Amino acid sequence: MRKSLLKMVALSLMVLMVAGSVFGAGVQETSKDVTVNMFQLKVEIKDAIDGYAAKYSAATPGVTVKVETLGGGADYGGALKAKAQSGQMPDIFVIEGRGGYDIWKDYIADLSDQSWVADTDLAFKVDGKVYGFPVAIEGYGLAYNADILAKAGIDPATLTTRAAYEKAFQTLEAKKAQLGIDAPVSMAASVAGGMWWVAAQHNLATYWGGGLDFNDTSIIDMALNGKLDDARFLQYAKYLQLLFKYADQKILLNGSYDDQVGAFAQGKTAFLHQGNWVDPNLKQLGVTFKVGYAPHAFLDKEQKGLYLFAPSWYCVNAESPNAEAAKAFLTAMATTADGHDYMVNQAGMIPAFKSVTLQPAGQLSQALMAANAKGGNYGVFFGMLPDGAGQNVFGPIFDLFAQNQNNLDRFIADMKRAVADLPNM
Amino acid sequence: MKQSRAVNILFVAPCVFAFFMIIVIPFFFGLYYSVTDWNGVSNNVNFVGLRNFSNLANSPDFVYSFLITIAYTLINIVLINIVSFVLSLVVTSKIKRRNFYRAGFFVPYLIGGIVLGYIWQFILNNILVSLGTTYSIKFLETSFLSLPHTVIWTMAVVNTWQYAGYIMLIFVASIQSIPSSLMEAASVDGAPFISRVLHILLPMMANAFTISLFLTLTTSFKQFDMNLTLTNGGPATRFMDTPVKASQLLAMNIFNTATANRMAEAQAKAVVLFVALLVVSLIQVSVNKKKEVEM
Repeated sequence: MRKSLLKMVALSLMVLMVAGSVFGAGVQETSKDVTVNMFQLKVEIKDAIDGYAAKYSAATPGVTVKVETLGGGADYGGALKAKAQSGQMPDIFVIEGRGGYDIWKDYIADLSDQSWVADTDLAFKVDGKVYGFPVAIEGYGLAYNADILAKAGIDPATLTTRAAYEKAFQTLEAKKAQLGIDAPVSMAASVAGGMWWVAAQHNLATYWGGGLDFNDTSIIDMALNGKLDDARFLQYAKYLQLLFKYADQKILLNGSYDDQVGAFAQGKTAFLHQGNWVDPNLKQLGVTFKVGYAPHAFLDKEQKGLYLFAPSWYCVNAESPNAEAAKAFLTAMATTADGHDYMVNQAGMIPAFKSVTLQPAGQLSQALMAANAKGGNYGVFFGMLPDGAGQNVFGPIFDLFAQNQNNLDRFIADMKRAVADLPNM
Repeated sequence: MKQSRAVNILFVAPCVFAFFMIIVIPFFFGLYYSVTDWNGVSNNVNFVGLRNFSNLANSPDFVYSFLITIAYTLINIVLINIVSFVLSLVVTSKIKRRNFYRAGFFVPYLIGGIVLGYIWQFILNNILVSLGTTYSIKFLETSFLSLPHTVIWTMAVVNTWQYAGYIMLIFVASIQSIPSSLMEAASVDGAPFISRVLHILLPMMANAFTISLFLTLTTSFKQFDMNLTLTNGGPATRFMDTPVKASQLLAMNIFNTATANRMAEAQAKAVVLFVALLVVSLIQVSVNKKKEVEM
């Protein structure tokens, strides 16, 4: 009896030891050299950022930057939570808006004193303090195939009001066979295809920010208090209806990202509702025609700007002992020639910093950069909405409107009710 | 040789350890989080009582997901069991190459749900639709996945295609364990095939049905992977005057709530799923047990 008791004690100690070694693995090693761990979610820039981190590590004695990438549909937020719970919170991580900030604010360092802050309009700010380093500028308008428009006799520069769009769509619809297109617009709105974000996030953002000052959040502030601007929303809904009506219906109701971009790249539609991130896709699909951006002009009055935003921001872990090294890494990215080369030439992004003079390769990115230099663009504020509002609330509403395109009143009533519910989310 | 207690414990310990760490402890944590406002990260967790649960009854998307999951489960149970039973009769009859058929029917089960969803999405959205347009077959021209009233049935058919082979194997094993003398005696007495199946095979297979009904019930109720890749919850439909996702089953509803950082709410939904599943499967097993025949 006593012997078995002894064995039991030994056994439970063994179990404890195993448990200890499993859970103790998160404890950081202490050494003089600092390792900055970065955890980011843009899969498409993985090689570029790995390369830049290696270059930076080699040039900076005592500092090694290690980058881990997880994204492209993988659950970045979930993985970051797991890291935080196991005591392996990275030194630099990514947030995608206000929702992310609210969750991680205990970890996010104040970056207001950094030298790059004065060089950008797109830093992530809360109450006047800077908390996020803008990863890039992304943006969108309605991308057009210049060749098709020229053949149809439409000047893209005239597309600045809803009426002008309606006329252009009618012309294209009438000349479909002659131009060899399936439909005027390649638009997606389906929950099934995973494309709710094109309609219910990006297109809806034209209502939040279109025609206003770049930092004017009055319309979305109103929505966060549960109200729509009825007159403005009616104009927006009519514009959306126009896009739906003249869209390739199969792509609209059931298409995936590849279907949507593919149709445009093959010259089967004249317009594409996507941002500059499709540049690499267009290149891959062998697009040779000229591409440009027309504004999403949904108002009765003229609108000429494109929609520009930083899709995500780098944040520095305030609780990390390596916070200063992490800040130095970000500063170098924004201010040195190597950093600029990485952002523009290696990663193919449009940097959010005005001092960068390099030109990106993609046609749509160039169009955005030109628009950014010219000014008069509109802000994109969907990041201010509560988490899940786009996917779980607006997504089905837009999908249903795409299925029943003539029911404008129903769509407006649905949106009104959904917005009235926003303050409770 | 008599085994000592310590050796027994030593063998069981790794399993018990894993079971506790991965299932038991998270389960009770989950129960706790379902009555808080936890967002997945914050250390600041407040007790909110049953608020998360009482909100569920008023949220159309959850009620809809719950009802559609029950409908999907019922369709699935009927469809899978009938198909597997017919298949098992076929592969235990005297047809040629029956081993080949057995393997063939089982193979879909080996394909993962994610891959399977994408394969069938391609078949349904592209192949069938282009067949429909080319040969002007009206009902094929729009994908079955894009219509709110067909999408659940389509999912059930795809799930049956995957799962029927597995249930078939259970039936086959059960049929083979029935003494052939029973069937032969009946056949000598002149009982036709249908009555042999109805009056001998079915009662003798009652224990297999207990298992197959339980498996189809629980897997359909918890369906997630194929749901995510095949339909992603779409298309939208109207329920309680609110647009909701027509094919968003309960597990996916929980997932979408959790990825929107509403962890406590998602956990409350998961508790509801657990309780519903527990009650229904307990009833099912106890009813089925009463029908089993002792040899």
